[in-house]
Amino acid sequence: MQNNVTVEKILVSYDPEVQNLLPVLKKISAVFGFIGSKDAEIVAEYFGLSLAKICEVASFYDLIKTRKPANLEIKVCSSGDCALGSSAEIIQEIENYFRIKAGDEFNPKVRLEKNSCLGRCAEGPIMIVNGKVFEKVTVSSVHRILGEYV
Amino acid sequence: MNNIKIITEHWGKINPLKIEDYVSVGGYEALKEFIEKSDSEGALKEVKLSRLSGRGGAGFLTGVKWEMVSAQKGEKYFVCNLDESEPGTYKDRLIAENNPHLLLEGLVLSALTIGAKKSYIYLNGNYEKAKEVLARAILQAQERKFLGTKILSSKYSLEIEIFSGAGAYICGEETALLSSIEGNRGEPKMRPPYPTECGLFGKPTVVNNAETIASIPWIIQNGGKKYLKCATKLFVLGGSVKNMGVFEAPIATTIDEAITKLGGGMQDGKEFWFAQVGGASGGIYLEKELGGPILGSGAILVVDRTADIYDLLLSWTGFFRRESCGKCVPCREGTFRLHEIAERLVDGEIADRDKEALNDILWTLENTTFCPLGKFAATAVRNAIDKLGILK
Repeated sequence: MQNNVTVEKILVSYDPEVQNLLPVLKKISAVFGFIGSKDAEIVAEYFGLSLAKICEVASFYDLIKTRKPANLEIKVCSSGDCALGSSAEIIQEIENYFRIKAGDEFNPKVRLEKNSCLGRCAEGPIMIVNGKVFEKVTVSSVHRILGEYV
Repeated sequence: MNNIKIITEHWGKINPLKIEDYVSVGGYEALKEFIEKSDSEGALKEVKLSRLSGRGGAGFLTGVKWEMVSAQKGEKYFVCNLDESEPGTYKDRLIAENNPHLLLEGLVLSALTIGAKKSYIYLNGNYEKAKEVLARAILQAQERKFLGTKILSSKYSLEIEIFSGAGAYICGEETALLSSIEGNRGEPKMRPPYPTECGLFGKPTVVNNAETIASIPWIIQNGGKKYLKCATKLFVLGGSVKNMGVFEAPIATTIDEAITKLGGGMQDGKEFWFAQVGGASGGIYLEKELGGPILGSGAILVVDRTADIYDLLLSWTGFFRRESCGKCVPCREGTFRLHEIAERLVDGEIADRDKEALNDILWTLENTTFCPLGKFAATAVRNAIDKLGILK
Protein backbone atom coordinates (compact mmCIF):
# COMPACT_ATOMS: atom_id res chain seq x y z
CA MET A 1 0.00 0.00 0.00
CA GLN A 2 1.28 3.44 -0.88
CA ASN A 3 1.20 5.88 1.99
CA ASN A 4 -0.10 8.80 0.03
CA VAL A 5 -3.23 7.04 -1.24
CA THR A 6 -6.35 8.36 0.44
CA VAL A 7 -10.03 7.61 0.03
CA GLU A 8 -10.47 11.07 -1.49
CA LYS A 9 -7.82 10.39 -4.12
CA ILE A 10 -9.53 7.13 -5.09
CA LEU A 11 -12.89 8.88 -5.29
CA VAL A 12 -11.84 11.66 -7.67
CA SER A 13 -10.87 9.11 -10.30
CA TYR A 14 -14.53 8.04 -10.51
CA ASP A 15 -17.60 10.08 -11.45
CA PRO A 16 -20.23 10.14 -8.70
CA GLU A 17 -22.65 7.93 -10.63
CA VAL A 18 -24.39 4.91 -9.15
CA GLN A 19 -22.72 2.38 -11.46
CA ASN A 20 -19.38 3.47 -10.01
CA LEU A 21 -20.38 2.76 -6.41
CA LEU A 22 -19.48 -0.93 -6.42
CA PRO A 23 -16.12 -0.42 -8.20
CA VAL A 24 -15.25 2.36 -5.73
CA LEU A 25 -16.11 0.26 -2.68
CA LYS A 26 -14.14 -2.67 -4.08
CA LYS A 27 -11.15 -0.46 -4.75
CA ILE A 28 -11.16 1.08 -1.26
CA SER A 29 -11.50 -2.33 0.32
CA ALA A 30 -8.65 -3.70 -1.79
CA VAL A 31 -6.31 -0.78 -1.02
CA PHE A 32 -7.00 -0.40 2.71
CA GLY A 33 -8.08 -3.95 3.52
CA PHE A 34 -11.55 -2.85 4.53
CA ILE A 35 -13.97 0.08 4.52
CA GLY A 36 -14.13 1.84 7.87
CA SER A 37 -17.05 3.97 9.03
CA LYS A 38 -15.14 7.21 8.30
CA ASP A 39 -14.43 6.03 4.76
CA ALA A 40 -18.07 5.07 4.28
CA GLU A 41 -19.13 8.58 5.32
CA ILE A 42 -16.78 10.16 2.79
CA VAL A 43 -18.10 7.87 0.04
CA ALA A 44 -21.71 8.66 1.00
CA GLU A 45 -21.05 12.38 0.75
CA TYR A 46 -19.27 12.07 -2.60
CA PHE A 47 -22.08 10.06 -4.19
CA GLY A 48 -24.82 12.07 -2.47
CA LEU A 49 -26.23 8.91 -0.95
CA SER A 50 -27.13 8.05 2.63
CA LEU A 51 -24.58 6.36 4.88
CA ALA A 52 -27.07 3.52 5.35
CA LYS A 53 -27.11 2.93 1.59
CA ILE A 54 -23.30 2.70 1.44
CA CYS A 55 -23.16 0.26 4.37
CA GLU A 56 -26.02 -1.76 2.91
CA VAL A 57 -24.17 -2.27 -0.35
CA ALA A 58 -20.72 -2.76 1.17
CA SER A 59 -21.86 -5.42 3.61
CA PHE A 60 -23.54 -7.48 0.86
CA TYR A 61 -20.53 -8.51 -1.18
CA ASP A 62 -17.83 -11.01 -0.27
CA LEU A 63 -15.02 -9.05 -1.88
CA ILE A 64 -15.80 -5.90 0.08
CA LYS A 65 -14.77 -6.04 3.73
CA THR A 66 -16.39 -3.88 6.36
CA ARG A 67 -14.21 -5.01 9.24
CA LYS A 68 -10.48 -4.91 9.72
CA PRO A 69 -9.05 -8.17 8.40
CA ALA A 70 -6.96 -10.46 10.59
CA ASN A 71 -3.20 -10.69 9.99
CA LEU A 72 -3.74 -14.08 8.50
CA GLU A 73 -6.88 -14.60 6.44
CA ILE A 74 -7.33 -18.17 5.24
CA LYS A 75 -10.09 -19.33 2.96
CA VAL A 76 -10.65 -22.88 1.82
CA CYS A 77 -13.03 -23.76 -1.00
CA SER A 78 -15.72 -26.13 0.19
CA SER A 79 -17.70 -26.54 -3.01
CA GLY A 80 -18.35 -29.77 -4.94
CA ASP A 81 -15.03 -30.76 -6.50
CA CYS A 82 -12.92 -29.45 -3.62
CA ALA A 83 -15.19 -31.12 -1.07
CA LEU A 84 -14.62 -34.45 -2.83
CA GLY A 85 -10.92 -33.65 -2.84
CA SER A 86 -10.73 -33.61 0.96
CA SER A 87 -11.19 -29.90 1.61
CA ALA A 88 -13.11 -30.85 4.78
CA GLU A 89 -9.98 -32.53 6.18
CA ILE A 90 -7.86 -29.56 5.18
CA ILE A 91 -10.22 -27.26 7.06
CA GLN A 92 -10.06 -29.54 10.10
CA GLU A 93 -6.27 -29.59 9.95
CA ILE A 94 -6.13 -25.78 9.96
CA GLU A 95 -8.71 -25.61 12.76
CA ASN A 96 -6.59 -27.88 14.92
CA TYR A 97 -3.36 -26.15 14.03
CA PHE A 98 -4.54 -22.68 15.07
CA ARG A 99 -7.17 -23.85 17.57
CA ILE A 100 -9.89 -21.93 15.77
CA LYS A 101 -13.18 -22.80 14.10
CA ALA A 102 -14.04 -21.96 10.51
CA GLY A 103 -16.28 -18.89 10.49
CA ASP A 104 -15.38 -17.76 14.03
CA GLU A 105 -14.05 -14.27 14.54
CA PHE A 106 -12.69 -14.63 18.08
CA ASN A 107 -9.04 -14.74 17.15
CA PRO A 108 -7.90 -11.31 15.92
CA LYS A 109 -4.77 -12.77 14.34
CA VAL A 110 -6.09 -15.69 12.31
CA ARG A 111 -9.38 -16.17 10.57
CA LEU A 112 -10.52 -19.21 8.64
CA GLU A 113 -13.47 -19.18 6.28
CA LYS A 114 -15.10 -21.59 3.92
CA ASN A 115 -15.19 -20.15 0.46
CA SER A 116 -17.55 -20.63 -2.47
CA CYS A 117 -16.35 -21.93 -5.82
CA LEU A 118 -13.69 -19.90 -7.63
CA GLY A 119 -14.08 -21.84 -10.88
CA ARG A 120 -10.72 -23.59 -10.64
CA CYS A 121 -12.22 -26.97 -9.92
CA ALA A 122 -9.75 -29.00 -11.99
CA GLU A 123 -6.91 -27.60 -9.85
CA GLY A 124 -8.62 -28.16 -6.49
CA PRO A 125 -8.66 -28.23 -3.54
CA ILE A 126 -8.16 -24.46 -3.50
CA MET A 127 -6.88 -22.47 -0.54
CA ILE A 128 -6.46 -18.69 -0.40
CA VAL A 129 -4.05 -17.17 2.11
CA ASN A 130 -4.07 -13.37 2.37
CA GLY A 131 -5.36 -13.15 -1.19
CA LYS A 132 -2.85 -15.58 -2.68
CA VAL A 133 -4.38 -18.64 -4.32
CA PHE A 134 -2.87 -22.09 -3.76
CA GLU A 135 -3.93 -25.02 -5.93
CA LYS A 136 -4.00 -28.78 -5.35
CA VAL A 137 -3.62 -28.35 -1.60
CA THR A 138 -3.32 -31.49 0.51
CA VAL A 139 -3.56 -32.09 4.24
CA SER A 140 0.23 -32.30 4.42
CA SER A 141 1.05 -29.35 2.15
CA VAL A 142 -1.13 -27.09 4.31
CA HIS A 143 1.59 -26.95 6.98
CA ARG A 144 4.28 -26.01 4.50
CA ILE A 145 2.14 -23.26 2.98
CA LEU A 146 1.06 -21.81 6.31
CA GLY A 147 4.60 -22.09 7.65
CA GLU A 148 5.59 -19.27 5.30
CA TYR A 149 3.07 -16.97 6.94
CA VAL A 150 3.39 -17.80 10.63
CA MET B 1 -21.31 -37.80 -32.08
CA ASN B 2 -20.44 -35.20 -34.69
CA ASN B 3 -17.32 -33.26 -34.04
CA ILE B 4 -18.29 -29.73 -34.99
CA LYS B 5 -16.77 -27.27 -32.58
CA ILE B 6 -18.45 -23.91 -32.50
CA ILE B 7 -16.94 -22.34 -29.42
CA THR B 8 -13.80 -24.31 -28.62
CA GLU B 9 -12.58 -24.61 -32.25
CA HIS B 10 -9.55 -22.33 -31.80
CA TRP B 11 -8.81 -22.85 -28.12
CA GLY B 12 -5.13 -23.37 -27.50
CA LYS B 13 -4.33 -22.82 -31.18
CA ILE B 14 -4.48 -19.04 -31.25
CA ASN B 15 -2.94 -16.55 -28.86
CA PRO B 16 -5.81 -14.97 -26.91
CA LEU B 17 -3.75 -11.80 -26.47
CA LYS B 18 -3.41 -11.19 -30.21
CA ILE B 19 -6.30 -10.02 -32.34
CA GLU B 20 -4.31 -10.90 -35.52
CA ASP B 21 -4.51 -14.57 -34.57
CA TYR B 22 -8.28 -14.46 -34.31
CA VAL B 23 -8.65 -12.49 -37.55
CA SER B 24 -6.35 -14.93 -39.37
CA VAL B 25 -8.72 -17.83 -38.61
CA GLY B 26 -11.72 -15.93 -39.98
CA GLY B 27 -12.52 -13.89 -36.91
CA TYR B 28 -14.79 -10.86 -37.21
CA GLU B 29 -15.95 -12.07 -40.64
CA ALA B 30 -19.47 -12.49 -39.30
CA LEU B 31 -19.38 -8.90 -38.09
CA LYS B 32 -18.16 -7.65 -41.49
CA GLU B 33 -20.96 -9.56 -43.17
CA PHE B 34 -23.48 -8.10 -40.75
CA ILE B 35 -22.22 -4.54 -41.33
CA GLU B 36 -22.23 -4.96 -45.12
CA LYS B 37 -25.79 -6.20 -45.19
CA SER B 38 -26.77 -3.81 -42.42
CA ASP B 39 -29.67 -6.11 -41.72
CA SER B 40 -30.44 -6.58 -38.05
CA GLU B 41 -33.81 -8.11 -38.84
CA GLY B 42 -32.09 -10.82 -40.88
CA ALA B 43 -29.71 -11.54 -38.01
CA LEU B 44 -32.60 -11.76 -35.58
CA LYS B 45 -34.35 -14.16 -37.96
CA GLU B 46 -31.33 -16.45 -38.08
CA VAL B 47 -31.01 -16.52 -34.29
CA LYS B 48 -34.71 -17.36 -33.99
CA LEU B 49 -34.34 -20.11 -36.59
CA SER B 50 -31.39 -21.56 -34.70
CA ARG B 51 -33.57 -22.03 -31.61
CA LEU B 52 -30.51 -21.11 -29.57
CA SER B 53 -31.44 -21.22 -25.91
CA GLY B 54 -29.80 -19.60 -22.90
CA ARG B 55 -26.71 -21.52 -21.85
CA GLY B 56 -26.63 -20.22 -18.29
CA GLY B 57 -29.09 -22.74 -16.95
CA ALA B 58 -32.62 -21.47 -17.46
CA GLY B 59 -32.63 -22.21 -21.19
CA PHE B 60 -34.90 -19.39 -22.40
CA LEU B 61 -34.97 -18.98 -26.19
CA THR B 62 -32.48 -16.26 -27.12
CA GLY B 63 -34.29 -15.15 -30.28
CA VAL B 64 -37.53 -14.59 -28.40
CA LYS B 65 -35.76 -12.52 -25.76
CA TRP B 66 -34.04 -10.42 -28.40
CA GLU B 67 -37.24 -9.82 -30.33
CA MET B 68 -38.95 -8.37 -27.26
CA VAL B 69 -36.21 -5.79 -26.89
CA SER B 70 -35.45 -5.04 -30.53
CA ALA B 71 -39.12 -4.15 -31.09
CA GLN B 72 -38.81 -1.31 -28.57
CA LYS B 73 -37.42 2.11 -29.39
CA GLY B 74 -35.05 4.32 -27.44
CA GLU B 75 -32.10 3.54 -25.20
CA LYS B 76 -31.37 -0.15 -24.60
CA TYR B 77 -28.66 -2.21 -23.00
CA PHE B 78 -27.10 -5.55 -23.74
CA VAL B 79 -25.47 -7.34 -20.81
CA CYS B 80 -23.19 -10.35 -21.04
CA ASN B 81 -23.55 -12.51 -17.95
CA LEU B 82 -20.11 -13.81 -17.06
CA ASP B 83 -20.74 -14.01 -13.33
CA GLU B 84 -20.64 -17.78 -13.40
CA SER B 85 -20.43 -18.69 -9.74
CA GLU B 86 -22.18 -22.05 -9.89
CA PRO B 87 -19.86 -24.48 -8.11
CA GLY B 88 -18.06 -26.77 -10.52
CA THR B 89 -18.71 -24.54 -13.54
CA TYR B 90 -15.95 -22.62 -15.28
CA LYS B 91 -16.80 -22.83 -18.98
CA ASP B 92 -17.42 -19.10 -19.39
CA ARG B 93 -14.09 -18.24 -17.77
CA LEU B 94 -12.34 -20.44 -20.33
CA ILE B 95 -14.25 -18.78 -23.19
CA ALA B 96 -12.96 -15.40 -22.02
CA GLU B 97 -9.43 -16.61 -21.39
CA ASN B 98 -8.96 -18.75 -24.51
CA ASN B 99 -10.75 -16.79 -27.19
CA PRO B 100 -11.92 -13.38 -25.92
CA HIS B 101 -12.48 -12.01 -29.41
CA LEU B 102 -15.07 -14.66 -30.20
CA LEU B 103 -17.03 -13.43 -27.20
CA LEU B 104 -16.55 -9.80 -28.21
CA GLU B 105 -17.62 -10.46 -31.80
CA GLY B 106 -20.71 -12.24 -30.53
CA LEU B 107 -21.38 -9.40 -28.14
CA VAL B 108 -21.09 -6.73 -30.84
CA LEU B 109 -23.37 -8.71 -33.17
CA SER B 110 -25.92 -9.30 -30.41
CA ALA B 111 -25.96 -5.72 -29.20
CA LEU B 112 -26.25 -4.26 -32.70
CA THR B 113 -29.03 -6.69 -33.59
CA ILE B 114 -31.22 -5.52 -30.72
CA GLY B 115 -30.18 -1.90 -31.26
CA ALA B 116 -28.17 -1.30 -28.09
CA LYS B 117 -25.37 1.26 -28.02
CA LYS B 118 -23.96 0.31 -24.67
CA SER B 119 -23.05 -3.11 -23.43
CA TYR B 120 -21.72 -4.43 -20.15
CA ILE B 121 -19.81 -7.61 -19.45
CA TYR B 122 -20.65 -8.57 -15.87
CA LEU B 123 -17.56 -10.49 -14.87
CA ASN B 124 -17.12 -12.68 -11.81
CA GLY B 125 -15.08 -10.64 -9.30
CA ASN B 126 -12.63 -13.50 -8.83
CA TYR B 127 -11.78 -13.81 -12.53
CA GLU B 128 -8.66 -11.61 -12.51
CA LYS B 129 -6.99 -13.21 -15.50
CA ALA B 130 -10.14 -13.18 -17.63
CA LYS B 131 -10.51 -9.49 -16.81
CA GLU B 132 -7.03 -8.66 -18.09
CA VAL B 133 -7.49 -10.71 -21.25
CA LEU B 134 -10.88 -9.15 -22.01
CA ALA B 135 -9.73 -5.59 -21.28
CA ARG B 136 -6.86 -6.05 -23.69
CA ALA B 137 -9.11 -7.59 -26.33
CA ILE B 138 -11.52 -4.64 -26.08
CA LEU B 139 -8.67 -2.17 -26.73
CA GLN B 140 -7.47 -4.17 -29.73
CA ALA B 141 -10.98 -4.40 -31.16
CA GLN B 142 -11.39 -0.63 -30.76
CA GLU B 143 -8.16 0.02 -32.64
CA ARG B 144 -9.38 -2.08 -35.54
CA LYS B 145 -12.78 -0.39 -35.50
CA PHE B 146 -14.69 -3.56 -34.64
CA LEU B 147 -15.93 -1.64 -31.63
CA GLY B 148 -16.54 1.97 -30.61
CA THR B 149 -18.09 4.75 -32.69
CA LYS B 150 -18.81 4.05 -36.35
CA ILE B 151 -17.91 0.38 -36.40
CA LEU B 152 -16.10 -0.40 -39.69
CA SER B 153 -17.12 3.08 -40.91
CA SER B 154 -20.83 2.26 -40.68
CA LYS B 155 -23.70 3.92 -38.82
CA TYR B 156 -23.37 1.47 -35.93
CA SER B 157 -21.72 2.31 -32.61
CA LEU B 158 -21.19 0.27 -29.48
CA GLU B 159 -19.36 0.81 -26.24
CA ILE B 160 -18.44 -2.23 -24.16
CA GLU B 161 -17.59 -1.92 -20.48
CA ILE B 162 -16.36 -4.62 -18.14
CA PHE B 163 -18.19 -4.52 -14.83
CA SER B 164 -16.43 -6.62 -12.28
CA GLY B 165 -18.63 -8.26 -9.67
CA ALA B 166 -17.74 -8.51 -6.01
CA GLY B 167 -18.29 -12.13 -5.14
CA ALA B 168 -21.97 -12.98 -4.86
CA TYR B 169 -23.55 -16.11 -6.33
CA ILE B 170 -26.98 -14.51 -6.55
CA CYS B 171 -25.65 -11.89 -9.02
CA GLY B 172 -25.86 -14.58 -11.71
CA GLU B 173 -29.65 -14.12 -11.53
CA GLU B 174 -30.38 -11.43 -14.11
CA THR B 175 -32.38 -8.98 -12.02
CA ALA B 176 -29.85 -9.26 -9.17
CA LEU B 177 -27.04 -8.73 -11.67
CA LEU B 178 -28.67 -5.53 -12.92
CA SER B 179 -29.24 -4.31 -9.35
CA SER B 180 -25.56 -4.85 -8.74
CA ILE B 181 -24.50 -2.70 -11.73
CA GLU B 182 -26.88 0.00 -10.52
CA GLY B 183 -24.92 0.19 -7.26
CA ASN B 184 -27.39 -1.71 -5.11
CA ARG B 185 -27.29 -4.91 -3.13
CA GLY B 186 -27.42 -7.80 -5.56
CA GLU B 187 -30.94 -8.82 -4.67
CA PRO B 188 -33.40 -10.16 -7.23
CA LYS B 189 -36.38 -8.03 -8.16
CA MET B 190 -40.00 -8.96 -8.68
CA ARG B 191 -40.79 -10.11 -12.21
CA PRO B 192 -42.73 -8.85 -14.16
CA PRO B 193 -41.66 -6.34 -15.26
CA TYR B 194 -38.97 -8.41 -16.94
CA PRO B 195 -35.59 -6.86 -17.77
CA THR B 196 -36.66 -6.93 -21.43
CA GLU B 197 -39.15 -4.18 -20.57
CA CYS B 198 -37.59 -2.48 -17.57
CA GLY B 199 -34.00 -3.53 -17.01
CA LEU B 200 -30.78 -1.67 -16.43
CA PHE B 201 -31.50 1.92 -15.32
CA GLY B 202 -35.13 1.28 -16.22
CA LYS B 203 -34.36 0.67 -19.90
CA PRO B 204 -35.09 -2.48 -21.94
CA THR B 205 -32.19 -4.88 -21.42
CA VAL B 206 -31.13 -8.26 -22.71
CA VAL B 207 -29.02 -10.38 -20.37
CA ASN B 208 -27.36 -13.37 -22.02
CA ASN B 209 -24.85 -15.90 -20.80
CA ALA B 210 -21.34 -15.69 -22.28
CA GLU B 211 -21.63 -19.12 -23.90
CA THR B 212 -24.86 -18.11 -25.63
CA ILE B 213 -23.18 -14.97 -26.99
CA ALA B 214 -20.10 -16.90 -28.16
CA SER B 215 -22.35 -19.04 -30.39
CA ILE B 216 -23.72 -16.01 -32.25
CA PRO B 217 -20.88 -15.41 -34.81
CA TRP B 218 -21.20 -18.99 -36.04
CA ILE B 219 -24.97 -18.67 -36.39
CA ILE B 220 -24.68 -15.41 -38.34
CA GLN B 221 -22.11 -16.94 -40.70
CA ASN B 222 -23.61 -20.38 -41.19
CA GLY B 223 -27.27 -19.68 -40.68
CA GLY B 224 -29.77 -20.67 -38.03
CA LYS B 225 -31.00 -23.75 -39.87
CA LYS B 226 -27.55 -25.30 -39.87
CA TYR B 227 -27.07 -24.50 -36.18
CA LEU B 228 -30.32 -26.21 -35.33
CA LYS B 229 -28.83 -29.44 -36.67
CA CYS B 230 -25.48 -29.26 -34.94
CA ALA B 231 -26.02 -27.14 -31.83
CA THR B 232 -23.36 -27.71 -29.22
CA LYS B 233 -22.97 -27.03 -25.53
CA LEU B 234 -20.00 -26.82 -23.22
CA PHE B 235 -19.90 -29.44 -20.49
CA VAL B 236 -17.72 -29.28 -17.42
CA LEU B 237 -16.65 -32.62 -16.02
CA GLY B 238 -15.31 -33.01 -12.52
CA GLY B 239 -14.94 -35.51 -9.73
CA SER B 240 -13.88 -39.10 -10.32
CA VAL B 241 -13.63 -39.11 -14.12
CA LYS B 242 -10.34 -39.68 -15.93
CA ASN B 243 -10.39 -36.41 -17.88
CA MET B 244 -11.59 -33.37 -15.99
CA GLY B 245 -12.25 -30.14 -17.78
CA VAL B 246 -14.46 -28.40 -20.31
CA PHE B 247 -15.67 -30.23 -23.42
CA GLU B 248 -17.81 -29.15 -26.33
CA ALA B 249 -20.32 -31.71 -27.54
CA PRO B 250 -23.76 -31.86 -29.21
CA ILE B 251 -26.44 -30.44 -26.98
CA ALA B 252 -28.33 -33.73 -26.90
CA THR B 253 -25.40 -35.56 -25.26
CA THR B 254 -26.63 -37.71 -22.41
CA ILE B 255 -25.05 -37.81 -18.97
CA ASP B 256 -23.77 -41.30 -19.64
CA GLU B 257 -22.14 -40.34 -22.96
CA ALA B 258 -20.50 -37.32 -21.34
CA ILE B 259 -18.98 -39.42 -18.58
CA THR B 260 -17.77 -42.28 -20.78
CA LYS B 261 -16.87 -40.52 -24.03
CA LEU B 262 -15.83 -37.03 -22.93
CA GLY B 263 -14.60 -37.83 -19.47
CA GLY B 264 -12.96 -41.10 -20.48
CA GLY B 265 -14.92 -43.10 -17.90
CA MET B 266 -14.22 -43.56 -14.23
CA GLN B 267 -10.74 -43.27 -12.78
CA ASP B 268 -9.07 -46.63 -12.31
CA GLY B 269 -10.32 -48.59 -9.35
CA LYS B 270 -13.25 -46.27 -8.67
CA GLU B 271 -16.84 -47.37 -8.78
CA PHE B 272 -19.58 -45.01 -9.96
CA TRP B 273 -22.06 -43.95 -7.28
CA PHE B 274 -23.97 -40.98 -8.62
CA ALA B 275 -23.57 -37.83 -10.72
CA GLN B 276 -24.66 -34.38 -9.75
CA VAL B 277 -25.68 -32.46 -12.84
CA GLY B 278 -25.84 -28.66 -12.90
CA GLY B 279 -23.52 -27.64 -10.09
CA ALA B 280 -24.52 -27.33 -6.44
CA SER B 281 -28.06 -26.49 -7.50
CA GLY B 282 -28.38 -29.60 -9.65
CA GLY B 283 -30.05 -32.90 -8.99
CA ILE B 284 -28.54 -36.29 -8.26
CA TYR B 285 -28.62 -39.04 -10.90
CA LEU B 286 -28.02 -42.68 -10.12
CA GLU B 287 -26.53 -45.15 -12.58
CA LYS B 288 -29.91 -46.14 -14.05
CA GLU B 289 -30.89 -42.50 -14.66
CA LEU B 290 -27.98 -41.44 -16.83
CA GLY B 291 -29.82 -41.65 -20.15
CA GLY B 292 -31.29 -38.15 -19.95
CA PRO B 293 -29.97 -34.85 -21.28
CA ILE B 294 -27.62 -32.65 -19.28
CA LEU B 295 -29.58 -29.86 -17.69
CA GLY B 296 -28.60 -26.56 -16.15
CA SER B 297 -25.15 -25.06 -16.41
CA GLY B 298 -23.64 -28.19 -17.98
CA ALA B 299 -21.50 -29.12 -14.99
CA ILE B 300 -21.28 -32.80 -14.10
CA LEU B 301 -19.76 -33.86 -10.82
CA VAL B 302 -19.08 -37.58 -10.83
CA VAL B 303 -19.03 -39.13 -7.38
CA ASP B 304 -17.58 -42.55 -6.64
CA ARG B 305 -18.34 -44.97 -3.80
CA THR B 306 -15.43 -43.86 -1.67
CA ALA B 307 -16.76 -40.31 -1.37
CA ASP B 308 -18.09 -39.03 1.94
CA ILE B 309 -21.69 -37.99 1.33
CA TYR B 310 -21.63 -35.93 4.52
CA ASP B 311 -18.83 -33.74 3.18
CA LEU B 312 -20.95 -33.06 0.13
CA LEU B 313 -24.08 -32.47 2.19
CA LEU B 314 -22.30 -29.82 4.26
CA SER B 315 -20.82 -28.39 1.09
CA TRP B 316 -24.27 -27.90 -0.50
CA THR B 317 -26.07 -26.58 2.53
CA GLY B 318 -23.13 -24.40 3.60
CA PHE B 319 -22.90 -22.93 0.13
CA PHE B 320 -26.55 -21.89 -0.04
CA ARG B 321 -26.54 -20.59 3.53
CA ARG B 322 -23.59 -18.34 2.62
CA GLU B 323 -24.98 -17.26 -0.72
CA SER B 324 -28.64 -16.68 0.17
CA CYS B 325 -29.05 -12.94 -0.34
CA GLY B 326 -31.33 -12.52 2.65
CA LYS B 327 -34.14 -10.75 0.85
CA CYS B 328 -36.88 -13.28 1.52
CA VAL B 329 -37.43 -15.07 4.82
CA PRO B 330 -38.07 -18.63 3.50
CA CYS B 331 -34.66 -18.73 1.84
CA ARG B 332 -32.68 -16.80 4.47
CA GLU B 333 -34.00 -18.89 7.36
CA GLY B 334 -34.53 -22.07 5.38
CA THR B 335 -30.95 -22.35 4.12
CA PHE B 336 -29.66 -21.50 7.61
CA ARG B 337 -31.74 -24.20 9.33
CA LEU B 338 -31.02 -26.68 6.58
CA HIS B 339 -27.31 -26.26 7.22
CA GLU B 340 -27.79 -26.59 10.98
CA ILE B 341 -29.70 -29.83 10.58
CA ALA B 342 -27.10 -31.12 8.14
CA GLU B 343 -24.42 -30.42 10.75
CA ARG B 344 -26.39 -32.34 13.38
CA LEU B 345 -26.88 -35.20 10.94
CA VAL B 346 -23.15 -35.35 10.26
CA ASP B 347 -22.39 -35.25 13.99
CA GLY B 348 -24.84 -38.11 14.55
CA GLU B 349 -27.07 -35.97 16.75
CA ILE B 350 -30.10 -35.80 14.53
CA ALA B 351 -33.43 -36.11 16.36
CA ASP B 352 -36.80 -37.23 15.00
CA ARG B 353 -37.94 -33.64 15.37
CA ASP B 354 -35.19 -32.61 12.96
CA LYS B 355 -36.34 -35.12 10.38
CA GLU B 356 -39.87 -33.70 10.47
CA ALA B 357 -38.56 -30.16 10.34
CA LEU B 358 -36.36 -31.11 7.41
CA ASN B 359 -39.41 -32.00 5.33
CA ASP B 360 -41.12 -28.73 6.18
CA ILE B 361 -38.03 -26.71 5.39
CA LEU B 362 -37.47 -28.44 2.06
CA TRP B 363 -41.11 -27.91 1.08
CA THR B 364 -40.91 -24.24 2.04
CA LEU B 365 -37.72 -23.74 0.03
CA GLU B 366 -39.18 -25.49 -2.99
CA ASN B 367 -42.47 -23.63 -3.02
CA THR B 368 -42.28 -20.25 -1.36
CA THR B 369 -38.97 -18.52 -2.06
CA PHE B 370 -38.79 -15.29 -4.05
CA CYS B 371 -36.24 -16.49 -6.62
CA PRO B 372 -35.02 -19.91 -7.76
CA LEU B 373 -32.06 -19.95 -5.33
CA GLY B 374 -34.26 -21.40 -2.60
CA LYS B 375 -35.42 -24.18 -4.89
CA PHE B 376 -31.81 -24.92 -5.85
CA ALA B 377 -30.86 -25.20 -2.19
CA ALA B 378 -33.45 -27.93 -1.68
CA THR B 379 -32.80 -29.98 -4.84
CA ALA B 380 -29.66 -31.89 -3.96
CA VAL B 381 -30.65 -32.45 -0.33
CA ARG B 382 -34.09 -33.72 -1.34
CA ASN B 383 -32.45 -36.07 -3.87
CA ALA B 384 -29.93 -37.28 -1.33
CA ILE B 385 -32.74 -38.19 1.05
CA ASP B 386 -34.90 -39.88 -1.60
CA LYS B 387 -32.24 -41.58 -3.70
CA LEU B 388 -29.28 -42.10 -1.39
CA GLY B 389 -31.23 -42.60 1.82
CA ILE B 390 -29.02 -40.40 3.99
CA LEU B 391 -31.61 -40.24 6.76
CA LYS B 392 -31.80 -43.98 7.24
